[in-house]
Amino acid sequence: MTVFSLPKLFKRLIQKNVENWLTRRIPCKEEHQLNSRNIMIYPTRFGLSYLAFVALVFLLGTNYQNNIILLLSYLLASLFISVMLHSFYNFSQLRFYSKAQQRQGYAGDELFFPIQISANKAHYDINLHFSDKTINSSCERVAQCQQGSHEVNLIYKSSTRGSHALGRVTIFSEYSLGLFKSKTILDFGHYAIIYPKPISLNRGQYQLSSQSDEQSIDSYQTSSIEGIDDFSELKSFVRGESRARTAWKQLAKGQGHYSKHYQSSQGQSKWLILQEMPGNDVEIQLSYLSFLVNELTATNQPFGIVLSAEAHNSSTNISPSMGFAHQQACLTALALYR
Amino acid sequence: MNLFTKQTTRAPSNHLENSKHKINVSLTRKNAWLLWLCQCLNIAVIALELSSWMLAIISLSLVWQALLLHQNRDRSKTKQQNSYVVNSKQHSSDKIKKQQVGQVSPILLGMFAVLGCLALAVTAKEVGILTTMVQLLCFSYVLKAFEIKARSDFYQLILLGLFVLSSSLIFRQDLAFSFIVLSLLVINLAILLQYFSSESALVTNIKVVMLLLGQSILLASILFLVFPRLSPFWQVPKAKSNETGLSDTVKPGDIANLTRSTKLAFRADFGQQKVPEYSQLYWRAVVLENYDGRQWSKQKSDGIKTTNKIDSLAKKSLIFDAGTTGVNPLNYQVVVEPSFQKYLFALAPAVVTGDKSGIHAESDFTFISSRNISQAKSYQLTSYLTAPFSLELTQKSKQVNLKYPKGSNPRLESFAQQLQHDYVDVQARAQAVLMFINKENYEYTLQPPLLENNSLDQFFFETKSGFCAHYASAFTFLMRASGIPARMVTGYLGGEFNGDTAQEANPEGHMSIYQYDAHAWSEIWVVGRGWLRIDPTSAVDLERINSGWSSELLQEQSALNDDLLSLYQLKNTAWLNALRLQFDALDYQWTRWVIGFTTKQQYNLFNDLFGKMAAWKLATIIAVSLIVSITMLMLFLHLINRVKQKKIPLAKWQIFYHKALTQLAKQGIEKPTGMTVNDFAKQVREQSPELAIAFTRLSTSYNRLCYQTLTINEQAKIALTMQQQYQQLLHTLKQQQ
Repeated sequence: MTVFSLPKLFKRLIQKNVENWLTRRIPCKEEHQLNSRNIMIYPTRFGLSYLAFVALVFLLGTNYQNNIILLLSYLLASLFISVMLHSFYNFSQLRFYSKAQQRQGYAGDELFFPIQISANKAHYDINLHFSDKTINSSCERVAQCQQGSHEVNLIYKSSTRGSHALGRVTIFSEYSLGLFKSKTILDFGHYAIIYPKPISLNRGQYQLSSQSDEQSIDSYQTSSIEGIDDFSELKSFVRGESRARTAWKQLAKGQGHYSKHYQSSQGQSKWLILQEMPGNDVEIQLSYLSFLVNELTATNQPFGIVLSAEAHNSSTNISPSMGFAHQQACLTALALYR
Repeated sequence: MNLFTKQTTRAPSNHLENSKHKINVSLTRKNAWLLWLCQCLNIAVIALELSSWMLAIISLSLVWQALLLHQNRDRSKTKQQNSYVVNSKQHSSDKIKKQQVGQVSPILLGMFAVLGCLALAVTAKEVGILTTMVQLLCFSYVLKAFEIKARSDFYQLILLGLFVLSSSLIFRQDLAFSFIVLSLLVINLAILLQYFSSESALVTNIKVVMLLLGQSILLASILFLVFPRLSPFWQVPKAKSNETGLSDTVKPGDIANLTRSTKLAFRADFGQQKVPEYSQLYWRAVVLENYDGRQWSKQKSDGIKTTNKIDSLAKKSLIFDAGTTGVNPLNYQVVVEPSFQKYLFALAPAVVTGDKSGIHAESDFTFISSRNISQAKSYQLTSYLTAPFSLELTQKSKQVNLKYPKGSNPRLESFAQQLQHDYVDVQARAQAVLMFINKENYEYTLQPPLLENNSLDQFFFETKSGFCAHYASAFTFLMRASGIPARMVTGYLGGEFNGDTAQEANPEGHMSIYQYDAHAWSEIWVVGRGWLRIDPTSAVDLERINSGWSSELLQEQSALNDDLLSLYQLKNTAWLNALRLQFDALDYQWTRWVIGFTTKQQYNLFNDLFGKMAAWKLATIIAVSLIVSITMLMLFLHLINRVKQKKIPLAKWQIFYHKALTQLAKQGIEKPTGMTVNDFAKQVREQSPELAIAFTRLSTSYNRLCYQTLTINEQAKIALTMQQQYQQLLHTLKQQQ
């Protein structure tokens, strides 16, 4: 057992040391400039095979006692060194600025982490991706980075809700002949908050309740049900609005695309309660809540959220309110719920 | 609900890029064609060494590839037209289909490869191992191009191409060829670079590669000078190229055929000494002592014992030669071009003064290399031009040099007997023959009429026209028939001096001796004077002996030769000739210092630089100099980069911000280096609210310029507003005071 576990332990120790070293060497910053402190450069597999090839040419030259072939092999060997320097200078002096350290989105959505690259001269073949291989992010390539600034979006996609630290970003270049890989692992402190994916609730599946101890229980039904909310006005359709509120009658008549706006009676704050969501799976229940939060925000109705049984637990329960910030807070609470 | 995720339109193919090891996305059509072209060029460099059937196969494969590329173009065109309609899924399936069509099936390729290898194996014995290896290399190089699927395949192809280039250098090393190989190397590397910077043009990439190679040259030349030269690790198959130049046997018409070639035979460098007269430059190569009635051939040495004896004898006579005769020695260096033969050239009588390894002195005052000369070889000689040689003649040698097949040329034999009767003195007899040739209407020509059975009778009495070998053969035969030991010598006569002829006293330059300088002459042995050189050509064409080819001969040569630029044209066009001579001088330096750079020279160089020293000291010096040169190179590049960085001045807007900071510092508000711009603006707001508005505006503009992606116009606009904001700040500061 010990024989098998030792290397593992060893590996972990090394990994930990490397990480410690990295955090000391390249600390978390919003903006990084590449220099000899944070660039790592090493030959690629092609670089190694190129060296073997140069050795082969040297052998050929030696065996034939042929000075020109020898000279060629020396030239190729020196080229290896000059390419290393070119690789380094192609990579250094680049500045990377992360425009957003945090992004939010629903599970399954693509989140974009924009990174601005500024260059004082032309740089070639800059590739970016998240260092963490489990993230499975695609590699973004900037074939030619002219003088000035460029923006690259790193894409993150996750199917599980929660707050994910994305770790470091690997940036590498194999420019000049692919013999060397100049690489840096920058820490921008990226993290993503993934909300539960909204799953729509059919009408009547869930009755929205006000908190029993404080206010009278009101039932919630989706907005198409008349009576609960008072229809207030028709406004012309704005892109991004829910189609559920389209005034189909007007549209069908050819009077234009309008959406119905409702005004819920004030003071009747609704509470969204996790335990009362249909189904047994917590994840699905959270997904329903996510849907409801969006619906209620879209229809401008105040609501609160109750995730834990303990009343007035401020971290998991959010008192009724409205608006974008409230929606964000609620969704974040859903994302972070344990 | 796309509030939080930024939607941008992205091509679905971008996602394929992380699987770059599967599909070679970046090998665009342009690159593919360039690669193809590059392959053709690489093959062309080595084409002379390949057998014709292999060339046929290779060109077939290249044409096939070109067709495939062409087809791909058609397909990509149609794809482009459809791409607006086809959605992403169909698009990708299209791509897969295209790859299937564009690639040759591996089974077919495999069969092709196996057949090719079989053919190679069958012919291996015939053409030699080296040629087979080269053919195998080229064959695999061409076949590899059919299956470029991944990036590693592309890399392999490039490396194979480079190897083809380097192996072509086995066969030729002269300056022009090396230059061609170097330029092809640049193209090969540029194509590799194109893969990484596909957006820039090929020309810029070529420039980058040239820059890279230029920077590498420094280190490469240091390595060339100091890196220890190793002896071969194992025996390698030698190149079996066509032998050029003189041969073991000479028929009367042979030399005339050789003179059609304008190839270089060897070069000689006399240093600061005066170059001897043209008519003194008899470069001795082969002595032919056997005559069978048709052709002259070399006397085979009987065995080791006798050769040793002869060697010692030769040495004795040479030592005698060098010691007692008051003849001025002439030191010179000879650099022989690869001839794939063993003959070396010398102005007899001569001794080897420099490195003697691999050079044998023969008893007939010729020199022979121990190995076939497959690349340029240089050696030092000292000649005693007017000294007599071989004052003693062994009985055996005398027999050999009097032998001729009786009745082979009856008319010449009777003429010889008549001469023997008329002239008792040996030299007078020879002179008489020369007089006869001079008086009778003999012709000196490159196109002598064909002789039946190489009959000398027919030449001497009927056709009466021939080249040097005709005259030398007939003369030697006459001498032997009249009882004088005589032999035929072949070699080169004269040469072209390339250099500064203005200074007669100590000229700088070298002699170039070409194949058309090939010559044949006779030697007769006279008691008390040894072997005497007699050139019967002098009797018929004195100009040839004294200054080289007459213009008639040159014209004749041009007519026979089908070179693009004939020698006659070259020599008669002043600027072309000057250019040719310049190039020849360059090539000579190349041959001397690069091709001919030996371990010995390397050692001498160190001795000259550092004096004599122990081997370990030498090794340390080599190691240290290598390390130093590498660090120098690094520092050099680092400095270049630093300078560039300094050259970029701060932008105007940056200056404004910094000026503002200094103004604030005067007011007692200093910005800590770690603080962000926004935080500092806040601090200013708290400390001096009067300045706040102006400074916050300035800070916002600064931030925008720093971190926002802006077009140049926008940048200029904001920079301008920043200027105004700065002035405002100054204004408020003044008001405060």
